[in-house]
Amino acid sequence: MAESGEKIVPPTSAPDDVLRVEHITKSFGPTTALRDVNLHLRKGEVLGLLGDNGSGKSTLMKIICGFQKQDSGQMFLHGEPFEPKSVDDARAQGIDTVYQDLALVDELSVYHNMFLRRERVRVPIPLLNNALMRRETRKALDDIGINIPRLDVPVARLSGGQRQAIAVARTVSGEANILLLDEPLAAMGAKEGGMILELIQRLKEKGEVSVMMILHNYAHVFATCDRVNLLQDGVIALDKPTSETSVEELNEIVVEEYRRARQAAIAEDAAARAAASSSSQ
Amino acid sequence: MAVASGSEVPAQSPPEGPASTGRALGGGALKLIRSFLTLREGSIIVVAIVTTAYFSTNATNFATLSNFKTLLPYFAPLAILGAGEVFVMINGEIDLSIGAVYLLSPFVFYKLNQAGIPLVPAVILSLIVSSLVGVINGFFVAVIGISSFVTTLGMLFTLDGLTLIISHTAPVATPGTSALHVNSFAQVFGGGTYSELIWALVIVVGLQLVLTATRWGVYTVAVGGNRLGSAEAGIRVRLVLIRNFVLCATCAGLVGILEAVRAVTATPDPSGSNDILFQGIASAVIGGTLLRGGSGTVVGALIGALFLGVLHDGLIIKGVSANYLDLYLGLAILIAMSVNVYVQRVRTGSGLG
Repeated sequence: MAESGEKIVPPTSAPDDVLRVEHITKSFGPTTALRDVNLHLRKGEVLGLLGDNGSGKSTLMKIICGFQKQDSGQMFLHGEPFEPKSVDDARAQGIDTVYQDLALVDELSVYHNMFLRRERVRVPIPLLNNALMRRETRKALDDIGINIPRLDVPVARLSGGQRQAIAVARTVSGEANILLLDEPLAAMGAKEGGMILELIQRLKEKGEVSVMMILHNYAHVFATCDRVNLLQDGVIALDKPTSETSVEELNEIVVEEYRRARQAAIAEDAAARAAASSSSQ
Repeated sequence: MAVASGSEVPAQSPPEGPASTGRALGGGALKLIRSFLTLREGSIIVVAIVTTAYFSTNATNFATLSNFKTLLPYFAPLAILGAGEVFVMINGEIDLSIGAVYLLSPFVFYKLNQAGIPLVPAVILSLIVSSLVGVINGFFVAVIGISSFVTTLGMLFTLDGLTLIISHTAPVATPGTSALHVNSFAQVFGGGTYSELIWALVIVVGLQLVLTATRWGVYTVAVGGNRLGSAEAGIRVRLVLIRNFVLCATCAGLVGILEAVRAVTATPDPSGSNDILFQGIASAVIGGTLLRGGSGTVVGALIGALFLGVLHDGLIIKGVSANYLDLYLGLAILIAMSVNVYVQRVRTGSGLG
């Protein structure tokens, strides 16, 4: 592990950072998900977070959005210490998330999912204002260009791409200025995926919203992201503007990682076998 | 589905001319029947109407006002119990302690009144005690993480035992009631002929409104449908669970007092309260609330309770031997549930036809 430890990207920052993450660690029992993560997100920037399955990308996002708490390390939001007590708390401070599992409720209608935890109610008696939510949902979906004919059906009846579009639209149409998107294109066809990428491009042009996005498809990364961070072995192992790196470089790092992991496994296996044969003699 | 993107509500297409009126009417009626059958309560409404019609034509004296009055105590308490249980069941949990709370609350009421607390405050205090049972149930389920089946089973025995201890297994005269005349307190709290019915209707309508038109209702469905997703969206899952256990236990406590006032005495009989428990759950389930959570209806529980009441009462009027009652009741539940499951499948599947 020593040689990978040397690859840690030290805390970096820029004057227009909206979010800084320093020395974050997180373990689940014996498994270390995040060893020492440092990253920063600049205003109006789209940051691509890459990494192998199980490298801790989703865990990092869940810590930033207040769903989980880090074991150690600090976060700073607009320069101020940031310790979200809950998802609600983080959202109130302008951070909203599209989760990998989408966090949709199959049994609820499209518009109730769109406004889950942000329901519009009437005054003075707080009954749900379904008409308003339906209208705003239609508008948000139209803005993206996703067509869902009926908004009062349970989302269980929709396709994977439509469900994902709802989850993205829900987060983007809120008041958040930092968006965390965990594989927002995973279940989408080319057309819907293109619409989401276009939406992110439009947000970027406005320059008010900062986006941190987990992606697997390098084509998407180079099409959308300003900068990439590669999470490996629980640390950020690479931090480069997209223009200064290439698919080849990213691939090389990931392949190198595989090679190293495989050699380590072989060595471990050989050592175990040697130990077993020596003990049997 | 050729629906324009602007219209999310399926508009009833108005007949365009005299020629198309007949067809449009037929289509409209079919559409109405279709949307009725795919209502969550649709199947049980049909089953209840068929059952009522059967007894009305086949049993003398069934369709009379006096028999309706006889019927009331069979179903009004079950409707209230079922209404509370529906919220817990939509959460994907179950509360088996409602019978025990039902048993305990009149004795709490009695003890408080004996201690010098006036009638109405004593009722309110015993409802608070009932709600505390819900807090404890909810705490064990949502915070400690014990399954609700086990938690509330434990609570069932605990409260049954507690009731036997504090009552010394002896029935007591319900405070504020008299066998000779029904005073105004008793009129309101279960003693009046329609008192329980009014309580049941008000609670069912109120809770149905909570379920379908408030945040509480949306969160209840959300937590039952996707607990992790609800938490990720920021819903306080534990609070939602505890709140619904409290609601359920409070309903049970109220029914206990209403029934004790109606009967003029409170009897510490755990086997009777277990019967009430299972009929309360049966009302919710028959009414179309899923045991696995995420879906349910309070009005359905009322109709489910009505169905059980009609069946019970009708079989008695028909002169069916008491030995057969439970058998028929059980078979009827199985049949009604089979119909429900079928309709459910049609509804969540491709739609009728």
